[in-house]
Amino acid sequence: MVLKRPLENGEILQGTLDLLILRTLVMGPAHGHTIAQVIEHTSENALEVEQGSLYPALHRLEDRGWLASEWGVSENNRKAKFYKLTAKGRRELSAATGRWHRMTRAIGLILGDSIESTGK
Amino acid sequence: MSLRRIMQRLKKDEELAEEIESHLAHEEDANAARGLGADEARRRARVRFGNARATRERVWLDRSFPWIENLWRDLRFAWRSLRKTPAFAVIAILVIAVGIGVNTAVFSVINTVLLKPLTYPDPQALVELVNVTPQGNFGGASIPKFNTWLQQKKIFQQVAAYDFGGAGMNLTGGDQPQQVQGIHVSAGYFALFGAPVAAGRTFTQEEDSPHGGNVVVLSYGLWKSRFGGNPKIVGSNIQVDGQPYLVVGVIGRGFVTDTPADLWVPYQFDLASQDMANYFTVAARLKPGVTISQANAQLRLAADQYRRMYGADSLPPQGGFAVQSLQESMIGDTRFSLLVLLGAVGFVLLIACANVANLLLARAAARKRELATRAALGAGRRQIVRQLLTESLTLSLCGGVLGLLLGYVGVRLLLRINPGDIPRLGENGSAVTLDVHVLLFTLGISILTGILFGLAPAISASRPNLAMVLNENSSRSGLGFRSGKLRSILVIFEMALTLVLLIGAALLIRTFFKLQAVDPGFTTKNILTMAMSVDGDRFQKTAPVAQIIRDGRDRVMAVPGVVDVGVTNCLPMLGGFGMTFDVVGRPHANSPFTGGAGFHSTSWSYFETFKIPLIRGRLFTRQDDGSAPGVAIINEAMAKQYWPKGDPLTDRIQIGVGAGPAFAEPPRQIIGIVGDTHDGGPNRDPEPIMYIPLAQMPDLETALNSRVAPLWWVVRTRVDPYALRVPITAALQQASGGLPVAHIRSMEEIEARSIASQRFNMILLIIFGSAGLLMAMIGVYGVMSYSVQQRTQELGVRMALGAQTWKLRNLVIGQGMMLSGLGVVLGIGGAFAVTRFLASFLFGVKTWDPVAFIAAPLILCLVALFAVWIPARRATRVDPMTALRIE
Repeated sequence: MVLKRPLENGEILQGTLDLLILRTLVMGPAHGHTIAQVIEHTSENALEVEQGSLYPALHRLEDRGWLASEWGVSENNRKAKFYKLTAKGRRELSAATGRWHRMTRAIGLILGDSIESTGK
Repeated sequence: MSLRRIMQRLKKDEELAEEIESHLAHEEDANAARGLGADEARRRARVRFGNARATRERVWLDRSFPWIENLWRDLRFAWRSLRKTPAFAVIAILVIAVGIGVNTAVFSVINTVLLKPLTYPDPQALVELVNVTPQGNFGGASIPKFNTWLQQKKIFQQVAAYDFGGAGMNLTGGDQPQQVQGIHVSAGYFALFGAPVAAGRTFTQEEDSPHGGNVVVLSYGLWKSRFGGNPKIVGSNIQVDGQPYLVVGVIGRGFVTDTPADLWVPYQFDLASQDMANYFTVAARLKPGVTISQANAQLRLAADQYRRMYGADSLPPQGGFAVQSLQESMIGDTRFSLLVLLGAVGFVLLIACANVANLLLARAAARKRELATRAALGAGRRQIVRQLLTESLTLSLCGGVLGLLLGYVGVRLLLRINPGDIPRLGENGSAVTLDVHVLLFTLGISILTGILFGLAPAISASRPNLAMVLNENSSRSGLGFRSGKLRSILVIFEMALTLVLLIGAALLIRTFFKLQAVDPGFTTKNILTMAMSVDGDRFQKTAPVAQIIRDGRDRVMAVPGVVDVGVTNCLPMLGGFGMTFDVVGRPHANSPFTGGAGFHSTSWSYFETFKIPLIRGRLFTRQDDGSAPGVAIINEAMAKQYWPKGDPLTDRIQIGVGAGPAFAEPPRQIIGIVGDTHDGGPNRDPEPIMYIPLAQMPDLETALNSRVAPLWWVVRTRVDPYALRVPITAALQQASGGLPVAHIRSMEEIEARSIASQRFNMILLIIFGSAGLLMAMIGVYGVMSYSVQQRTQELGVRMALGAQTWKLRNLVIGQGMMLSGLGVVLGIGGAFAVTRFLASFLFGVKTWDPVAFIAAPLILCLVALFAVWIPARRATRVDPMTALRIE
């Protein structure tokens, strides 16, 4: 399987969206609309999911085997496609979470240290 | 992209559209829950989602991107970047084309000879019947054997006998008599090989029985050329050897046999015959489901049956019968020599790969900033490797296309050189064609080549030290130590492979000269030979044949410029007959005869014509004819082998013991011993031969001989023998009452043919070795001139500090020759390991022949020296000031 794009390679937003989707699905299967709402609510509406990116991301994650999907009936009694985490997706979530923490820590260190380091 | 993938993607797209609808519906629900009117809820949902079509397109593209788009982008990029360095691209493509071309050429021959199935229907079931002896399996059958095999109905569907050479027949009764290739066959022959019948029918069983009448089946080619494709020919008579023959059928166009035939006549064997002479070939078609080993088991029983029927002497106790695949029989030991050639071209391809890899490394060094920039801008290592591999595959596929052309032309040129007796090549190699197997082979090695020479440079280029490269301010330094070392290793590798090829070529050259130096035991200078077929009723007895020989000799001798004329049934170096003999009065151990020897019938003037020296006794004279007591002459090899002590001239021999009634005759007095001739070719030791006068053969033997062998006329001339061709053939036609002659060749041609396969192999290895040498030269030149360029600054400093120019020159030469030296050491080691595969091609030369093992490395070193000389001189011309200012 050829990777579509290297993951760590720029496009932080996209990588982050993937991470957020995976994290959201830990709570259980959900369809696209729910996923978008959960992300927005949980982030106290700080993040707005661009809907045009959500579905490409979902399909990409599914193509990679991190998500599985099936059609079902939603809480509104409407037909909807439900996504759920696969075992592979769960592993990726923990790996990506680790990467995220290391990166934010590193950025934090740099931002926090910037004043002291000029003194050297 | 496959249709299935497209269908799958269409389905997924539909699903996505539905999914988006579902999303919008949920959004609408949410909006409605917040108290918006239906229309407004709907409108806001759509606005918030944006362009649904764009989303679908994006997912669609996401799915297609990696396969098509990336490849297309890489290819375009490769094309652009190769166009920027056209000289490099052209050289690389040419080198690859040569490597792939020679492989394609050799493979297309192998494909034709070894891989293509026989053109007959269901060819796997076709087998040849062979005699099992302690020395190996040999073809050849007699009537009693054929009779025994015909009865093996449990294992064979069909069994048929046919000539393996044929004496040639004369089509008379036109304006111009014509000698054609006529093959005797048994009735089952056409069914066995599935020959299509264009008109009429093939032989009936009655026609293939004794006194079955004169019937003939024509080939399509002869029917068209001689009889204008006349459909009424079937049922009419044609003149063959002066006799009317009824044409019963014409065989269709597609039927090609390995000994091409113009017409077929039935053997009309008397199956009750006790004639033990082996003079034809038998093939059979196995019954469906019968394996070769099952057939062989049955044939062991058949051998016992045969012994009971024809006597214990008819088959030695260790002897027996077996079958082998007809295709294997035809290929024989050609397989091995073709595989050796394939190995040699494999070497050429490896050298080509090493060479192009070297060029790519040099190019990567020049592009290192481009690559480093790409890496710095975020291209992953995988992407860079992929990009570089796409470039090398582009190169190798271009080289492959050109190589296919080269191979196609090359194989025609190769086959112009007489390849000796490689079977199944067709007339002038016409059977060798480009088919799908050859195309696949070429495509396969092109891709393999591209990966082979592209991978190492790509990997090495994909890990540059970014900071170092980008911070450099000039193009002075290379990819650093690793790449330099890699290039040196490649050059050493090239040198070693080239040396192996050169040593192989040197061994074959030595072999060829040794072969040419062998004295064949007879003169080949100014000798013209030609074949006269004496098949037909006129020549069933010895007297008329002897008459033609006498008259013909007298008339040809009258042609100005002719020195001598001889006649024989076995021309030297064209193979001959063998026969058992018994020394009269000598007790034998457990065999019914003393031994076996070559058996030639000649005219009395044969030895003088060929200048075969008389050692002792006397030669035949005109008086040694049917009315005189029987005489024989033997050669030295026979005298040495069978008369280690004692005088052969005091003995009489009985020739053809146990060989059937055709050879029944009183014993012959040995009257002379002549010098040995290399009849099996110069690389074979002379075999024992006994000669008898043609005029003294028993009638039945003459009749048999006339069917299986022509009379060979041998004319020695004072001038170029071809100049006398017309008067000689005219004289012979007059003497024989209009018999045509064919196969007019000089003895020098026949001698050249006898070493044609050695010459062919030699020429090929010289070509391959030279190609390798040229590439190795380019390789070592490239590395050394690059190294000089790298060290311009260092050399400038040295010069500024007062170093002598010759010292600088020797520095470069020393470095270059060091590489060559390592290559030579490795190559000699490799050659020691590999030349033993050549052992069966060599003659008079050991596989470790010191001359070859010294000469070839010397040539390689000289060429390498020449190649490093140019960069070495450049090193001495470095201007110190410029060199220092480059910085």
